Amino acid sequence: MKYETVIGLEVHVELATNSKIFCSCSAHSYGAQPNEHVCPACCGMPGMLPVVNKRVVDYGIKAGLMLGCDINRTTTFDKKSYYYPDLPAAYQTTQWFAPVAVNGLVEIETSKGKKGIRIKQIHMEEDAGKLVHDIREDTTHVDFNRTSVPLIEIVSQPDLSSAEEVEAYLERLKTLLRYARVAECEMAHGTMRCDVNLSVRPVGSNKLGVRTEMKNMNSIEAIKRAIEYETARHIDAVENGTEVLVQETRRWDDIKGKSYAMRTKETAGDYRYFPDPNVMPVVIDEAWFESMKNSLPEFPEVKRARYMQEYGLSEYDAEQLTKSIALCECFEGASAVCGSPKDATNWILSEIMNLLNLRQMTYDMLTVNGKSLGELILLVSNGKVGRANAKKVLSAMFDNPELSPEKYAEENGLIISNDTGLIDKVVKEIVASDPKSVADYKGGKEKALMALFGRCMKTLKGNCDPQVLRKILIDYIAKV
Amino acid sequence: MDRDTLRRLGMLNQLSLTDVQKEEIIAFFDERESEAKAELDVIDTSDVERMVHVMPVFTVVREDVASQPFTREALQAGAPETDEGYWCVPRVLE
Ligand SMILES: [Zn+2]
Repeated sequence: MKYETVIGLEVHVELATNSKIFCSCSAHSYGAQPNEHVCPACCGMPGMLPVVNKRVVDYGIKAGLMLGCDINRTTTFDKKSYYYPDLPAAYQTTQWFAPVAVNGLVEIETSKGKKGIRIKQIHMEEDAGKLVHDIREDTTHVDFNRTSVPLIEIVSQPDLSSAEEVEAYLERLKTLLRYARVAECEMAHGTMRCDVNLSVRPVGSNKLGVRTEMKNMNSIEAIKRAIEYETARHIDAVENGTEVLVQETRRWDDIKGKSYAMRTKETAGDYRYFPDPNVMPVVIDEAWFESMKNSLPEFPEVKRARYMQEYGLSEYDAEQLTKSIALCECFEGASAVCGSPKDATNWILSEIMNLLNLRQMTYDMLTVNGKSLGELILLVSNGKVGRANAKKVLSAMFDNPELSPEKYAEENGLIISNDTGLIDKVVKEIVASDPKSVADYKGGKEKALMALFGRCMKTLKGNCDPQVLRKILIDYIAKV
Repeated sequence: MDRDTLRRLGMLNQLSLTDVQKEEIIAFFDERESEAKAELDVIDTSDVERMVHVMPVFTVVREDVASQPFTREALQAGAPETDEGYWCVPRVLE
């Protein structure tokens, strides 16, 4: 008999906010001391009341719209109870009855063509803390820095049927959420985590088989291996009766390449969901909803087509720029100011890419604003700043996104001087200091002129029009 | 209400019930449930919006600004045991 795999994913994504979901502790604990970013609210002290972070709801709405969902204009928070030391209040505040977004659709493309994956819902919730088991043998150490960091959980319908589709789906989620700037979605950083629900059934059957869940998968490669292993295990059980499948949560051991039973799967009843009496309903009014809708970016493929048509970019260049919304914004801003999409593309794909690489930054981390880049390009094309010096200005723009390129160039002596008096003076000095090169040049060695030219340029700190300097230098040598 | 549901609810609420009690509870719930259902069935709820709260109230929201008004030392002052900035709890292992 032929079997097909039926997969549904629950994807947890950490939202890129400054503060936690219900208190004002910092949501960023990378490199922090244990329990540095905690307060009575997020470490579960009795009597503390949550106050909703508006940006979390903003991002929930944006994520929902990017994934084609309907937005629940009145959305509520509920308590999900379970006891574990990483959850100080013994309940997680999440959304059960009226999640922020429902009924979405995400289109993916694989070697088999295009397919729509239905999204059941997106809900907002708080993350749990971290437990450390290996400091001492007799106790478990608890760190609440991550407690209450905002997450969205994206729940798909069981519409996925292979590891390839799962990979395409996760990549698509990443792209769309990064475009909307709601999340980093980096599995290696733990800002995107994935639970895989899987069952098998005979091809053509519409009854679902026994479903198992693998929790907290954190690399696409591991997810692919786990799906292949679980699929084979399920088919073997159904076909050959090697074991009796039970609905349970399993742990994937990526080193051994096997999954292990962890616990029988909880059902919703186990969590005793009930409306959180401490958080009133969040009402998303028309103005709020519209402002979120208007802040959404075009989809990457729409942008790519527009860049080729509207700006005349090559397919390759359009493809490169649309890899990140940060590059797109920089490009669009710079083109508008300097009027040359070609120059803007070249600066971004060469100099900016170089600097990002050098500083080990991702594309999304680019903060240079398009308007400033456009101004810098104009300074170069108008002959006010040399190309080498323009790179220095760009580097300073990386350090300070507010920087005005022209002001910086002026203050740091990087403006090309039209002061021929100064050039004359420098040429005289250099020529007088190096009679050998002068004699060589007069004897027919072109290279000697380049040496003199280079020294003049260096003394002038690059701030002169090369053509002007060359002419003055040749004319002067001819006279001495 | 069936026996399994009752067993689970009893477990979650840490109740130990005798067989007689169980039968009584199941009978009680079954009766009430069918009464309530019959009552609800006569009402047309097709275009009634879902109620999200019993009162016409909604939450206020705060701006996304991070701050740090509490020290770890103050928060851990009442803890039975701490170590290197961590709270310590009886060992749990998965
Ligand atoms: Zn806090």
